[in-house]
Amino acid sequence: MALHRYRFRAMAAENEVHVHEPSADRAAAWASRAMAEVARIEAKYSRYRPDSVVSRINAAAGGAFVEVDAETLELLRYAGACHAQSGGLFDATSGVLRRAWHFDSPRVPAREELEPLLALVDWHAVEIEGSRVRLGKPGMELDFGGFGKEYAVDRAARVLAESGARSALVNLAGDLAVVGAQPDGSPWRVGVRHPRKAGMALASIPVSSGAVATSGDYERFVEVDGVRHCHILDPRTGLSARGFQSVTVHAPSCLVAGSATTVAMLKGREEGLEWLGALGLPYLAVLGDGAIVNRFEGTGNPA
Amino acid sequence: MAATEKPDGALGALMRAALALPILALAPRAGAAVVGEVGASVLGYKERGLMKATEPILFGHAVIDDVWEVEASAVGDILTGASPQLVTNVNGQPMQVLTGASVYERRHAGDAKVGRRFGELTLSASAAVSNEHDYHSKAGGLEARRDFNDKNTTLTLGYGRANDHVGSSIDPNLDAPRTTDQYLAGVTQVLSPVALVQSSLAYANGRGWYNDPYKFTLTFYPDQPLPSLLPDLRPDHRRSWAWLTRYRRHFAAQRGTLQADYRYFQDDWGVRAHTLEVAWDQQLDERWSLRPALRYYTQSAADFYSPVIPRPAPRFQSSDQRLAAFGGLSPSLRATLRLDSVIVEGAVGYVHDASSLRLGGSGTSAFETLRAVYGILSVTYPF
Amino acid sequence: MRTLVLVAALLAAGCTHVAPYERGYLARPAMALEESQGMAHAMEKIYPSKEAASGGAAVGGGGCGCN
Repeated sequence: MALHRYRFRAMAAENEVHVHEPSADRAAAWASRAMAEVARIEAKYSRYRPDSVVSRINAAAGGAFVEVDAETLELLRYAGACHAQSGGLFDATSGVLRRAWHFDSPRVPAREELEPLLALVDWHAVEIEGSRVRLGKPGMELDFGGFGKEYAVDRAARVLAESGARSALVNLAGDLAVVGAQPDGSPWRVGVRHPRKAGMALASIPVSSGAVATSGDYERFVEVDGVRHCHILDPRTGLSARGFQSVTVHAPSCLVAGSATTVAMLKGREEGLEWLGALGLPYLAVLGDGAIVNRFEGTGNPA
Repeated sequence: MAATEKPDGALGALMRAALALPILALAPRAGAAVVGEVGASVLGYKERGLMKATEPILFGHAVIDDVWEVEASAVGDILTGASPQLVTNVNGQPMQVLTGASVYERRHAGDAKVGRRFGELTLSASAAVSNEHDYHSKAGGLEARRDFNDKNTTLTLGYGRANDHVGSSIDPNLDAPRTTDQYLAGVTQVLSPVALVQSSLAYANGRGWYNDPYKFTLTFYPDQPLPSLLPDLRPDHRRSWAWLTRYRRHFAAQRGTLQADYRYFQDDWGVRAHTLEVAWDQQLDERWSLRPALRYYTQSAADFYSPVIPRPAPRFQSSDQRLAAFGGLSPSLRATLRLDSVIVEGAVGYVHDASSLRLGGSGTSAFETLRAVYGILSVTYPF
Repeated sequence: MRTLVLVAALLAAGCTHVAPYERGYLARPAMALEESQGMAHAMEKIYPSKEAASGGAAVGGGGCGCN
């Protein structure tokens, strides 16, 4: 049973598909279907493409309703469920805050810059009527960045499974899902990135089903006066999440895993750990001071 | 992964919302070669003072290694035994009269089906038996199913044969055989990611004993002192066609599914029937769904159906209501509760058959209107 | 065999081709063409014992003595 590895670029990151399959042709066919599905989702929901569903909805903000399809509706409903379950911390309209934060220049935006943007962060102003969607205030923006990649991981895994793969893994820049364990029954070993030491793994976790997602303060950040500000922003204050260096969660779906890590980061140390405990999912969290809380079984030394 | 046992609270809400999307959110169970379900259902039925409840019908279904498929069911019913019925016009108009006491009887029945997949082709064999004191039936069938075009199109061909023996509790010498050959051809077509349609044609060719040993007709004529009495007399063969079309369409925005089934039936006894059932399955939340439905049925009478014996007495004659011209309307409501470890379905329905409900209005005037209520409870455990 | 493929192709002509990974909605229980086993077995007793029409869906099932 050969392991075939495919690397590809999508969603501004390096991604890979691993497939255990004797036939190289079949593995290649499955992997290309999975990669095509990732490309489809990127094209459909990227805010960088003017013809994407998200861009069309954003362009009509404060104006007319936009007709959307079933997949978009269900994703919006999922975003709504996350908003409800996180007490409003997970807000798919918080993307406008990026207009104030420029992670290439080390400064924290002033309150006057954030306030007008915070007025546009309002999930309750997203109106869904039947199959039509509208953003209630002009200037509002929907941003699927908080869950689009995780959805793409889940869809790619499903495509692999439905194509016939029995042992495969899809990894989009650290958010991954598996289809079955490795052919001999042993789990895939997934390395968790060290949040402060580039290129190093903090731990390796065994994964034989489901998905793993990680949120960290190291992906995009600025350091001002020794304090790190990262790209995960609180929709209520416009300021950076605080309390964790990174959170990794294992769930049956990458969507759920990714939402769990994002919300944990936003809740901060105390409430975040409470949130992770209440979810009941295995997790590994690196606290702000570097301490590690490990609720995974069978983690080994970095492989 | 303890969390997949019974996710509730925040995780449960997120999981349920995620599962509404077409993703693989549930981990394929490691080493799960056998996937299926077992269950039981009970039917309660009330018609004009007659109440009946069946014992649980047991059923099961499993797919093994994605190659073998098995299905089976068993029932041990207590039925009201056949009660002799007489259609008599002693009071001027023909009417039904029960002439004997009802007898309670047991029916044992079981069926099983096994199929094996060979790539795009699946071959199956089935067998069924049903035994009562006065009726025995054995049947077997073969079916071939072939997928085309990434399972967008599926063709099905089937052949079956049933051997019945009809007896009678009022005539112990009766042991009459009947054999029926059945043929089926069908096609299922995916129309879009949210719609599909299936259409199938079934032909049955039967020969043997069709008379109902418990039905008689007693007719008085104004110019004759003595009435005429005839037992049920039907032809010794029956050829029938049934054409069934089913349509399903999901509406994601409304979270509902439209289901529509139409069947046209025709046989060489002169019966023509239409059946139309339309239902709407509404997903209320991630656990509950509700399905209201309305079924309309209309049939023409068999050529030899008559509630009074014609003069001169014909070769074939039956006053059995099931061969009369009538129509029926049956609304029903089903609720389904889906939990991780069990699925509970409950349904209630009302059946109203009457001559006035026949399409066109002119049913057999002697038809005795039927009003019945039924309830079904079914519990299924997936594994 | 070729006739079958031709029939299948003709039928498919008017329809959108749905790839295996787009079948999410088609797999929902409400989209199934047959009733669930529990409902189907119970329903078998209700209508066929009152009506002359039967069949259309499957072969190989025996009769019932429904008198």
